[in-house]
Amino acid sequence: MPTLPQLHTYKAGPIEQIVMPGENVGLWINKVYEFYKVVFIETITRSDPVSVNLGALAAGGQSAITQMTMLQMPDQEFAQVRSEVLDDVDIAVYQGRADQRHKLHNRAATLGRMTSLFDPCAHQTELFEFEDNFIFLQATNNTDYPLTVARVVFWGYRYVCEPLTEYSWSAKRLPEYWTRVPATAHL
Amino acid sequence: MYNQPARGIRKSSAVITVAAGATPEVLYQLTNRGTVTRTVILRKIMCYSAVGNCILRIGTGLAPLVPIIPFFVAINGVDTEWTENDIPEVEVSADLTVQSNVLGVQVQVEVEEIGA
Repeated sequence: MPTLPQLHTYKAGPIEQIVMPGENVGLWINKVYEFYKVVFIETITRSDPVSVNLGALAAGGQSAITQMTMLQMPDQEFAQVRSEVLDDVDIAVYQGRADQRHKLHNRAATLGRMTSLFDPCAHQTELFEFEDNFIFLQATNNTDYPLTVARVVFWGYRYVCEPLTEYSWSAKRLPEYWTRVPATAHL
Repeated sequence: MYNQPARGIRKSSAVITVAAGATPEVLYQLTNRGTVTRTVILRKIMCYSAVGNCILRIGTGLAPLVPIIPFFVAINGVDTEWTENDIPEVEVSADLTVQSNVLGVQVQVEVEEIGA
């Protein structure tokens, strides 16, 4: 008997879309969920145009906190992306230039070459970006030798949405079924 | 043997016949990309000399060649192979170059290119 796909964020295994077209999502933006219906989904393949080089780094050096402009989405669209760090740097992830992702109480986890060794499908690197709620990356070279490049590659899905204005998180008018999408940091 | 998952795509150089003694020349040209530079790891070396014993070096740069592995010898009349089990995992972001003390030795390499 066929079963419905079990779709959700951060799903282990090769990346899958988090909903089907026609389903509702709540995007966590500015400390509230905003509700949308997904109307169209397509893939973003791991490729050169959606990659970034944070530059050459001296031993112990650090790049600027760099805006991932190539991941900007059009109005009423969001992206689901996973990433792989290609060089031996530690990558800090921000969403909002000052709002770090992967946070604990006293520290924030980083991405690196070890990440893909223990998480080959990269599900723990998964991030969501709605419109221009940019992702920012900062690379640190913790080796004792200079590195000529500090590269990160991305892949994932593009979701085209239409707003569900009848629902409101603050007024507690919620859709019956919806998927929570952590599209910005939880401060 | 340490089996590491593939980090990139496997490619190979052309078969190079070293054109001049003691003079570096391009062995493998790194693929140009629009956004991010690719890097390359030397995975396999094959060489053959019918011009006498040759001391070979593989590295980057033409003036001068900066070795990425120690010099090695191609023995006259013997085909020689080094595979990835024998070669240190040196990753560089430049074309690979080769130099021999004697012209006429044949060299080919297989590489792994990393990037997008």
